[in-house]
This record gives sequence, C-alpha cells and structure tokens, in this order.
Amino acid sequence: MTKKIFSIAVFSALSLLPLAAFAQKNSCLDCHSGLEAELKAPAMSFAQDIHQQFGLTCKDCHGGNPAQASEDKAKDKTFKGAPKRTQIPEFCASCHSDAAYMRTFNPRLRVDQFSQYETSKHGQLLKKGDAKVAVCTDCHGVHGIQTAKFPKSATFPWNIPQTCGRCHADADYMKPYGISTDQLTKYKDSVHAHALFEKKDMSAPTCNSCHGNHGAFPPEVKSIGSVCRQCHPSTGELFAKSPHKKAFDDMGQSECEACHGNHKIERPTTAMLGTTDKAVCVQCHDKGSKGYQAAGELKTLLDGFDARIQKEGATLVLAEKKGVEVSEPAYRLQEVNTVLVSAKNLVHGLALDEIRKKLAEGEQTLADVGKASAAALDEAKFRRKGLIIATFFLALFGLALFLKIRSMRKPA
Amino acid sequence: MERRRFINFFFGGSFLATLAAFLYPVIRYVLPPKQAEAVQKKVAAAKMGDLAPNTAKIFKFGSVPAILVNTQEGQLLAFSAVCTHLTCTVNYEAATGTLFCPCHNGRFDMAGNVISGPPPRPIETYIVEVVGEDIFVSKKA
Repeated sequence: MTKKIFSIAVFSALSLLPLAAFAQKNSCLDCHSGLEAELKAPAMSFAQDIHQQFGLTCKDCHGGNPAQASEDKAKDKTFKGAPKRTQIPEFCASCHSDAAYMRTFNPRLRVDQFSQYETSKHGQLLKKGDAKVAVCTDCHGVHGIQTAKFPKSATFPWNIPQTCGRCHADADYMKPYGISTDQLTKYKDSVHAHALFEKKDMSAPTCNSCHGNHGAFPPEVKSIGSVCRQCHPSTGELFAKSPHKKAFDDMGQSECEACHGNHKIERPTTAMLGTTDKAVCVQCHDKGSKGYQAAGELKTLLDGFDARIQKEGATLVLAEKKGVEVSEPAYRLQEVNTVLVSAKNLVHGLALDEIRKKLAEGEQTLADVGKASAAALDEAKFRRKGLIIATFFLALFGLALFLKIRSMRKPA
Repeated sequence: MERRRFINFFFGGSFLATLAAFLYPVIRYVLPPKQAEAVQKKVAAAKMGDLAPNTAKIFKFGSVPAILVNTQEGQLLAFSAVCTHLTCTVNYEAATGTLFCPCHNGRFDMAGNVISGPPPRPIETYIVEVVGEDIFVSKKA
C-alpha cells in the first residue's frame, strides 16, 4: 500500500514537471498580472501558448531575470523587451531558423520560415520600411500562439481565410497598395470554400495553399497551372497536350484561371461549355469559327449523355421508392457515371474523338441500365395493378358474403 | 331460386378470385427474389485462389462497387471502390500497389489514405474475413 502511494506521488510529480518551470518565480508574470489592458494581456494568454507548453518562459524571448523581484534587477543587461514591429521576423527567427535548437523541441519542424518570409511580398515591403505589412504575430498571435493543428489557432485551415482577410478584406487598410479587397468574399462563394466550411474538408485549399504561407506571393501567370496541378494533376496533363496550351501561352493567359477564375472558383459544369453567353469558350472563339463549333459539339455530347444518366437514375430512384429491388442497375449506373466524369475531364485535352470514344465505352451499359430501370418501373406498375385487383376482389367477396348471409336469413 | 343460385355462384367466384389475389403475392414472397437485398453489410466477395498476389477484383456491395485487393505480400484488403472526389470507380494499380481513380488521377494507399490528386477524404476500408474457401467482406460497425 505504501509502495502504491509512493508510486502515485512520483508519477504525479513527474506529470507536473513541465508546469514546474512556469510555476517557478516569475516576476514578469507577477507584475504584468497586476497591470491593465495590453500590458496585462501577455500574462493572461501565455498559459495557453505553445512555447509555454514546451517549457519556455518570458526570458527566453525577452531576456531579463524573472527570478528577481524588483523591476530594476529583473530588467538586467540581458533584457530585450518587446521588439519593434519591423524587428519581429528576425526576433522570432533567432530561434525558429536555428535547426539545432528547434530540433530539441520537434525534429520535423521547418526552419526556413524566415528565409521564405524574406522572399514574400510582405517581407519585401517590410525591408523597404513598410511596417503595415504582415509579420509573424499578425497571423500567429503574440503570447497565445498555438500550433496550426489546433482548431482555434488563426493558422488552422478553417481560420486562414479570415486571418488573411483581416487585412486583405479591409479596403481602408489596403488602400495604399492598390489591390482589390474582394478576395475573401469571392473565396467564400467558391467550391473550395464550400468544401472547407460546409463539408469540413481539411484538405480543401485556402489562401496559403495557392499563395504560400511564409513566402506568400501572388502566383505568376505561368505558375498558376503548377499551383492547381498540386491537386488536379490529370487536368494539367491533359491541358498541356491540348491546342489551348500554345494559344494560352501566346496570349499570356494562365492555364486554369482564364476559364475557372481565381478566388471564386465555382463547381465546374457543362454550362461553362458551348456557345451560350455563360460559356467560357465564347470569350475567345467567334461565332462560325472551328472552335465555336467544337464548343457546341462538346456540350451537346456531354449534356446528352448526362441527361440519359439522370433520367435512368431518376427512374431507378422512383422504382426503389415503389419497393422494387434495383441494386444491380444502380451498381451499373455507377460505372456509367465514371465514364461521364472521365469524359468531362477529357475536355481539358480538347480531343473530341477521345471524348466520343470514352462515352462510347458507357453506351452499352447505359442501354442495359435503361432496360433494367424500365423493367423495374413495369414491375412497380404490375404490383400496383395487382393490389388494385386484389382489393377489388376483396370488396366483391365482402359484398357476396353480405348478400349470401341476407339470403340465408330469408325463408325459402 | 335463380337469384339464390346467382348469389351462390357470385359468392364462390369472388371467394376464389380473392383467394388467388391473396395467394399470388404470398407465392411471389416465398419464392427467392432474383437479386439480393439492396442494403448489405456483408458479402461473399471471392473465393480463395481467385486472386493472384498483386491483383484485385471489383465486386458489388449493395448497389455500389467495392474492391478486394490481394497485395504483393499476400494480404487481403477491401475498400469501397467509390472515389471520394467525384464518385468514380477506383482500380488497383499493380505497378504502384495503390488504388487509382482514372477520372482525375486520385490515388490512395493501402490504408485508404489519400496519397495524391483531388480526393478530399480517405476511401472507406472494409473488414475481410476468410471462412473456409470463401472471402467475406463486411462494413465496419
């Protein structure tokens, strides 16, 4: 029993070791806790800070001697205080660029944030003396810094659009830079934001997926395709082989952005194809041209096939609702859907013959599904008719029974 | 008398018709249906020996495709064959030992995790159970 109590005591003491450093005499916290507003904030939020969790204290960033009770002695010759805004990146980099030091906390942590930052638009402007641009603390916070894996962190994927938008959606703040401030609004209407916010899909791209994080920079026209290919490789490969590649390069157009846009990338549909006003093809292809005709043909091909899939799918759903077993045709319709999605992707290669060939692969299966769905609906109709007939006979039988009983009561 | 005969005839006829109307669906119900139930939690996917190492077989699981993989090391693994991107049917790519979606080149590892391409989520993994010569695949609870 004594041994058990001793073991628990030792275990508890070991568990509390990381907190011990924080619990040591810290005159910084003692004083700042008694101050107000922004001078009190560091003392309040540091308990949640990732640095504190790794045993670092105020002096590791700000210097000084927190073991001393008096302010004069605590602020000794090692005291650095708070860095100026323009000094913050170098201030953080003094540890975060030190591979040997950072390895002691997390061997997988990158140490190139500062060198990347120097290449970013923010870093370039900061070097020119612009103190308004984002520095480390604008995205990561100051004394309540959290890892990007923590859902409440400003750098967690769900929060990144808002973090960037704090400056980039502020028209007054961005006025001196002469760039638009509608990126956040547009992004919120995009298929990527839909995936991120509504489907809670953590892999959906946010601002830093395309612009980079520490090295944030608007991608150049020629590199946009490479950015999109990080997630859409087959589309990029098809486009590179298409006649559009050279034409777009000659015009100085970006591969993907010209048709899909940038921040407000909507779910692509065949409405983008064809010759209507909504079609992107007509932006370049004039009426009567070869490209114009091909655009119309593409849309007709894909929409026609899609409409048949939708029709058969709806018939199967209807038959299933009526109680008919339709798992086999539904399973086969999945095969046809794969053909359609593949064919839609082939649009990026602009090879009409390839698209026709791909759609032809699904023709027989679609025809079989069509027969099966019609049969399923017939079966449902047959069952309904059977029910009506059975009900009719039942009613008839009831009437006959009634008449029989009445006739038996009458004297012969 | 004629009226009574008519009523008897009417009574007998309607009784027989009612009996037939009741018996027919009963017979249809008792006889096994042409196809299996739509909602399935477990299916016999293949027989032992059907799959050589580093090959796979796509099979019907309810109304959706699933894939049974016999890895190069001879391990049997099963997954939903529906890509989490745009629901295309994925295949097993023997050269890389991965699941590959032909629509947009999405790729999954043998734990179902996304390796590359646009799929947003891992692909669903199933439980494989070998009973005698039969390989059963079931959904996780």
